Amino acid sequence: MFTKWIQSYRDLPLLINQWANVTRWEMRTKPFVRTLEFLWQEGHTAHATPEEAENEAIQMIDIYTKFAYEQAAIPVIAGRKSKVETFAGANKTYTIEAMMGDRKALQAGTSHNLGQNFSRAFGTQFLDETGQMQHVWQTSWAISTRFVGGIIMTHGDDAGLMLPPKLAPIQVVIVPIWKKDEEKVAVLNAASSVKEVLRTAGIKVKLDDSEQRTPGWKFNFWEMKGVPLRIEIGPRDVSSESVVISRRDVPGKQGKVFGISMEPSILVAFVKDRLHEIQSSLLERAIAFRDSNIVDVNSYDDLKVAISQGKWARGPWSATNEDELKVKEETGATIRCFPFEQPQGIKRCFMTGDPAEEVAIFAKSY
Amino acid sequence: MAGSEAKNSGSKQSGAKKKEVKKETGLGLTNRKADNFGEWYSEVVVNSEMIEYYDISGCYILRPWAMAIWEIMQGFFDPEIKKMKIKNCYFPLFVSPGVLEKEKEHVEGFAPEVAWVTKSGKTDLEIPIAIRPTSETVMYPYYSKWIRGHRDLPLKLNQWCNVVRWEFSNPTPFIRSREFLWQEGHTAFATKEEADAEVLEILELYRRIYEEFLAVPVIKGKKSEMEKFAGGLYTTSVEAFIPNTGRGVQGATSHCLGQNFAKMFEINFENEKGEKAMVWQNSWAYSTRTIGVMVMVHGDDKGLVLPPKVASVQVIVIPVPYKDADTQGIIDACTATVNTLCEAGIRAESDFRDNYSPGWKYSHWEMKGVPLRIEIGPKDLAKKQARAARRDNGEKIDIANDNLVDEVKKLLDTVQQNLFDVAKQKRDECIEVVHTWDEFVQALNQRKMILAPWCDEEAVEADVKARTKGEMGAAKTLCSPFDQPELPEGTKCFASEKPAKKWSYWGRSY
Repeated sequence: MFTKWIQSYRDLPLLINQWANVTRWEMRTKPFVRTLEFLWQEGHTAHATPEEAENEAIQMIDIYTKFAYEQAAIPVIAGRKSKVETFAGANKTYTIEAMMGDRKALQAGTSHNLGQNFSRAFGTQFLDETGQMQHVWQTSWAISTRFVGGIIMTHGDDAGLMLPPKLAPIQVVIVPIWKKDEEKVAVLNAASSVKEVLRTAGIKVKLDDSEQRTPGWKFNFWEMKGVPLRIEIGPRDVSSESVVISRRDVPGKQGKVFGISMEPSILVAFVKDRLHEIQSSLLERAIAFRDSNIVDVNSYDDLKVAISQGKWARGPWSATNEDELKVKEETGATIRCFPFEQPQGIKRCFMTGDPAEEVAIFAKSY
Repeated sequence: MAGSEAKNSGSKQSGAKKKEVKKETGLGLTNRKADNFGEWYSEVVVNSEMIEYYDISGCYILRPWAMAIWEIMQGFFDPEIKKMKIKNCYFPLFVSPGVLEKEKEHVEGFAPEVAWVTKSGKTDLEIPIAIRPTSETVMYPYYSKWIRGHRDLPLKLNQWCNVVRWEFSNPTPFIRSREFLWQEGHTAFATKEEADAEVLEILELYRRIYEEFLAVPVIKGKKSEMEKFAGGLYTTSVEAFIPNTGRGVQGATSHCLGQNFAKMFEINFENEKGEKAMVWQNSWAYSTRTIGVMVMVHGDDKGLVLPPKVASVQVIVIPVPYKDADTQGIIDACTATVNTLCEAGIRAESDFRDNYSPGWKYSHWEMKGVPLRIEIGPKDLAKKQARAARRDNGEKIDIANDNLVDEVKKLLDTVQQNLFDVAKQKRDECIEVVHTWDEFVQALNQRKMILAPWCDEEAVEADVKARTKGEMGAAKTLCSPFDQPELPEGTKCFASEKPAKKWSYWGRSY
């Protein structure tokens, strides 16, 4: 279709996106991570110059990186794929790589500079400003429901899901607690007003007032669902006009605060503050976990040790595609990317000893 | 085909940038709505850059100009159903044959149109897999699993997705395509009363989409037994009518499925008395067909006509330079106009392309149906005003810069209302009340939407269909309107002459 719609440089850049479902008949599946049908957005752009295409590809991987860090609290490593791992049909593939809880890598989003590969195959040409016929320069980029799997495996723990507040459909769950019937009305009323206060302040809040389940059951249930904050209100809290607030990300007594005033301005400020804190904390923890599981290696042996320990290995690399495949065969690790962030200084390829311009990151992956 | 422009013969020029300004649009329609409606429609949807034909018959590419309309409607409907506590979900595209066949009447209705995946790569699948024509059979086994007690009710889910129906009858962009986008809501209740109430609540949302957003008048009614959803209890719909072709078009449907699917899929719950009971279910949907109806009702011989509420560009601002006049000043005025309008929440854009003349741009944006055009030339600049042109009736109005936002808002509202009023008048003129078979046939030949007293028997409807089959297509019931005119005692059915039970709309349809 691009061939049909592009005739002149004035038709460029052509920038489109679609949110769609795709089907890939996979052998081994895993919910969110690898499924026969999944949802994604796929962007496809066509440009008049290779520089514009490259800028677009980089801009999109930057946007994915920003989204991962700021919304999902996932500290992805953005970089360029090796030739072996580059999308068939692309000149360059950029990727964001995330470290899951089991330390395996998850490719969480990709952006390709397709060069003129497709435009030559499909005859997508345009008349440039000098009157010459040229093939367009293209990019494509996508992020899918696999990303949800990334969120689960980055932050989840043994109590269940742990959702970053910015993406949580419910940010605060209110669990009313009472033992005697006389206490019930007062507690429920208090809980309802707290809910209204938070809802009006734009916080995504739910009141779990069902009477079929005990408070304990509800605690476990909403923790499983990954809700970032829980507010408990019992008869004593009603009399003291305060609430108890528990963080999903800090278990036990440490994560619990008592006596937070129900007074709207105080409560709202506290809750918003806490949600920000949880968001940052999730990111910090993920960064610390990631960094403590990446080993800088200077030899193939070092890499083998790191990989066998389940960690990622980062080292200078300028060896061949064959060497790369050998590493995969022998250790199960693939090059996840040549990260954009590169260390300074002279580097020697840890495999061959030859000079290397970049470090690459190796890891086992999903 | 109409729409391709002559290619720039730049290669003949020696490198110097010569601006070739297009004056001839080459974009005009070659077909007229009143003469070749079918061809006119195909031309409009393509030339307005909404649709591209695809190499698989019955499938169409929805270009951004069409997608924007779909997204605007979604932006209204999705929050409305969220208010009703309906939640979005996504069920798989694929259905296993065993499950598809569980509700016999349902599968009979859909079987001929189901598409099957029989291979993966080069290997045959052991069991072929169907692609959803609609998701009742996909979802309801899980409703059975998730619904145990009355506290699990109501269960209210919706999904925005694509479905496939491998039709063979005339594919028509938006109106009838093999793959289309829609929303399908599926809800389960403990009581019939709750289900009945929701059916009408949703139907009202569909009416609003048509009448308030698309400016298309519709009639709410109940489908006949023959026309209702296969496997359901009763179907309500909003019905539109296309005067040019004299055909009705089902705008959207809201079904009460009764307990039919609950029976087949064993969707039971323990009610408050501790007894085992079956749920009462609804399903309801509207699709990209809505866009087709809008095109057919409002479009004219210049192209698409978009109601402001669904236009992704409501106002197009075009500079009209003149010889040595202050071109930069005109451009600045256009930019300022766009900014002022955008800040006020109006979807305004400018067209500064210097390789197209103002005349070309007028035709281009008229073809694309933009509701209001604002032209700014040297005289307007001097008088501190702009000239607005309405797409719906061609009227030209001068607007002082000081009143820009208010006047434009008023104009857009007026255009929206006018489109609806004109459409309603045309539709009302098509309605013909008949009492006898002869009157019926005559009205059919005159391409009317026929209101007739009917005995409400399926066999009679089947007979009417058989007797009116022709190149124009058979006539059938469109709906029995909720708003029933008085039915005097002794009125006879127009077709069977048995006692009439109610008034029904009849006609040919898409």
